[in-house]
Amino acid sequence: MPAVSANAPLLELERVAKVYPNGTAALSSVDLTVRAGTVHGLLGANGAGKSTLIRILCGAAPASGGQIRWRGERVSWSRPAQARAAGIATLHQQIPLVGTLSVLENVFLAERGGRRGGRALAARLRRLLAAIGYELDIEAAVATLRIGERQMVGILQALAADAALIVMDEPTASLAAAERRIVHRTVRRLAAEGRAVLLVSHFLDEVLALTDEITVLRDGAAVLTAATAAVDEAALAAAIVGRPVRPPRPSAAPAAARGGTIAEIVGLESPGRLAPCTFEVRAGEVLGIAGFLGSGRSELLHAIFGADGAARGEVRLCGRALARSPRGAVAAGVGLVPEDRQAQGLVPQLPLWQNLTLAHLGRFARLGLLARAGAERAAARQAIERLGIKAGGLETPVTELSGGNAQKVSLARWLCGPLRLLLLDEPTAGVDVGAKAEILRIVRELAAGGLAVVLVSSELAELTSVCDRILVMREGAIVAERAATDTDEEELVVLASGAASGRLAAGAEAP
Amino acid sequence: MSLRERLPRGLGLREAGVYYALLLLVLGLAAVCAALGRPSYLSAVNLINIVYQASPVALMGVAMTVVLITGNFDLSVASVAALAAAVQILTVDTIGFWPALLLALAAAGAVGLLNGIMVQLVGINAFIVTLGTMTAVRGLVLIVTGGQSLMVRTPAALDAMTTFESGRAGPLPYPILYMAAFTALVWAVLRFTTLGRRVYAVGGNAEAARLCGISVPAYRIGAFVLSGLAAGFAGALYASRFGAMNPTALQGEELTVIAAAILGGTSLFGGAGSVLKTVAGALVLYTLTNGFNVLDLGANYQGLIEGTVLIGAAAIYTVGGRRGISFPRARARLPGRGSPPESPVDPARSA
Repeated sequence: MPAVSANAPLLELERVAKVYPNGTAALSSVDLTVRAGTVHGLLGANGAGKSTLIRILCGAAPASGGQIRWRGERVSWSRPAQARAAGIATLHQQIPLVGTLSVLENVFLAERGGRRGGRALAARLRRLLAAIGYELDIEAAVATLRIGERQMVGILQALAADAALIVMDEPTASLAAAERRIVHRTVRRLAAEGRAVLLVSHFLDEVLALTDEITVLRDGAAVLTAATAAVDEAALAAAIVGRPVRPPRPSAAPAAARGGTIAEIVGLESPGRLAPCTFEVRAGEVLGIAGFLGSGRSELLHAIFGADGAARGEVRLCGRALARSPRGAVAAGVGLVPEDRQAQGLVPQLPLWQNLTLAHLGRFARLGLLARAGAERAAARQAIERLGIKAGGLETPVTELSGGNAQKVSLARWLCGPLRLLLLDEPTAGVDVGAKAEILRIVRELAAGGLAVVLVSSELAELTSVCDRILVMREGAIVAERAATDTDEEELVVLASGAASGRLAAGAEAP
Repeated sequence: MSLRERLPRGLGLREAGVYYALLLLVLGLAAVCAALGRPSYLSAVNLINIVYQASPVALMGVAMTVVLITGNFDLSVASVAALAAAVQILTVDTIGFWPALLLALAAAGAVGLLNGIMVQLVGINAFIVTLGTMTAVRGLVLIVTGGQSLMVRTPAALDAMTTFESGRAGPLPYPILYMAAFTALVWAVLRFTTLGRRVYAVGGNAEAARLCGISVPAYRIGAFVLSGLAAGFAGALYASRFGAMNPTALQGEELTVIAAAILGGTSLFGGAGSVLKTVAGALVLYTLTNGFNVLDLGANYQGLIEGTVLIGAAAIYTVGGRRGISFPRARARLPGRGSPPESPVDPARSA
């Protein structure tokens, strides 16, 4: 490991592992050394173990193996307060701020002492703001701030804690360019002050520009540690992607075999979330959407489905304009498998079979009203069989299903009625490898049966192996389109992260 | 209802607790009465009397249960009932019984609709909206009554009202039949129709329901209207019983209604609840009241005991519920079958 800084290591991780009680091995072996006065970049695809590592560092979850040394001494934190007291401040992606309190009160939330606010604290905060060159109304309630300003409040919180190490989880993911520059400047300033920053980011250009050292995680292990000067985007992209987990399968349906256009999306947009999008999906085609978290992928699916009330533009299904409501979409044969199956997909109080028939309940009822439980159960049984859902029985509470089976329920629901266009939002997130492969096989089969499928996934290997065509999204807009056979994961990473487009890609054209 | 096939679970303390409580209470009171040598507690007259007294609250409780299942809350029912009673008494002399009843129901339903619209379309919290309508509608009652007691004046109207409220089918007073019919209807709708399934889905996970193409606002507003109509009907029963009302009639009754639903195990978070158990909950409350009278205990103890019973019941549901849910979850997290690592605590390590 090249010594970038002569400074003593502040934080050292040695073969740190984390196995959750359910047997999921989130981290297998991570070595990581962060030195004072440096910025250390942490990269990795979704699911590589970044979040788990951050949770361990901030004391929210204990490591189950390996050791952590802080200022040379072995530590084992079990509560976030311990990590904080030791001098680690963590800036989480979803910043836990109290919306009803002012900026001032939020920044000094952890401060002890009886008085709220106080003139001394206000003066301290003003000095901090002046030092980083940012302006903010310190009396404003945090709930009234824009997302970027809230992010800055989180950063101020970390600064006020006078931490020696600041862990930042995607601090710029939701920021505008100007605010992003302030964050960048702040990061540099922190390092110049002798503090250490562990910067987690999806943006390769940002990491290359800001950091001194870089560690790449893949499948729960550190696969690359290098001085930033010694690597380039290509090397990083290759390290993030690694060897393809599954050998890419040739697409089951060659382009020629595809049917006619099922869905045409024309100028579909949503203010502040989605730039106008225009594309079409054909029968038998799996259209992939690549892009990082917050790139507008889910927003696009929700807009197509009519679930975004603010969306404008047109969606035509088989030539007919689609009613702009989930109800209209469902009736016309559109199905959405949402990203968060527990929060958006399943109804925990209803048993398995009722969850399966929920979207097309009217089909199983006399006069659309009197439910025919027999027919429902038969349909549910069929769906369970068709998708190989492993469950105790039709009455099984959906809360008892494993991730993969719960996801299959969320998908199988749409097979209980007429379906022409299937929208899948991260269908393989949080499911085990076996279920993952099965779900992807099902997706391919459904497409082969004449469905049009739109598949959003953070796993690029998945997209290149399952899809026929891939759209790349970044910051709410479609920035590139590739045939799956003409692209690879490295190129997709570069396109989605918006790194210099000319170097690796043939050129990111806007469609 | 979803667990009907798993009989052992269906007979558990959490699933059927309110029935056990009712049974124990009745048997206990019967035993005490017998021991003290008082007239038999289990006589048909006494039992029918309890159900009769509980009927208006049970009726409102059934509709309240639907509101709770959809994930909302209605504090305004007692005020709405008083409004309906006032409307009926004020108009019955001139327009006759049935038109007056319809007018009363319309007024009550309108308040329900207003509640629903404010909660669902404007987006104000149900507690606040119905606290507001509870207060405002009570104020409206004071205005239309001029703060005075109201009385029905024409004998014909009074006769019609008496028939409506005090008539009997065999041994059973009509209010019991109204309550039973309404409960049966709502139970059947919840149990056997797509409408009922969607009501549970809307309360269980509104976002999932929406993404399944269910019109969430329609179901929630509908529940409020139902609650308003049931309250209106209960108010009409009250007016008809006495042929008179004073402007503070039924004040505080909304809490009894909600208590009945909670005793019946209805979740305040939506998605779960049974109207039959709510009726049992109302019967528990009125059996307690009745027991105090029969035993000549001071009415002073009543509030204390009722409150204790309510919290005790909630404790059983909460603790029982925690067990009922956490066991399967723990099972689901055995190696290889679990959901993604999200739990902030790590019980297996500290164990």
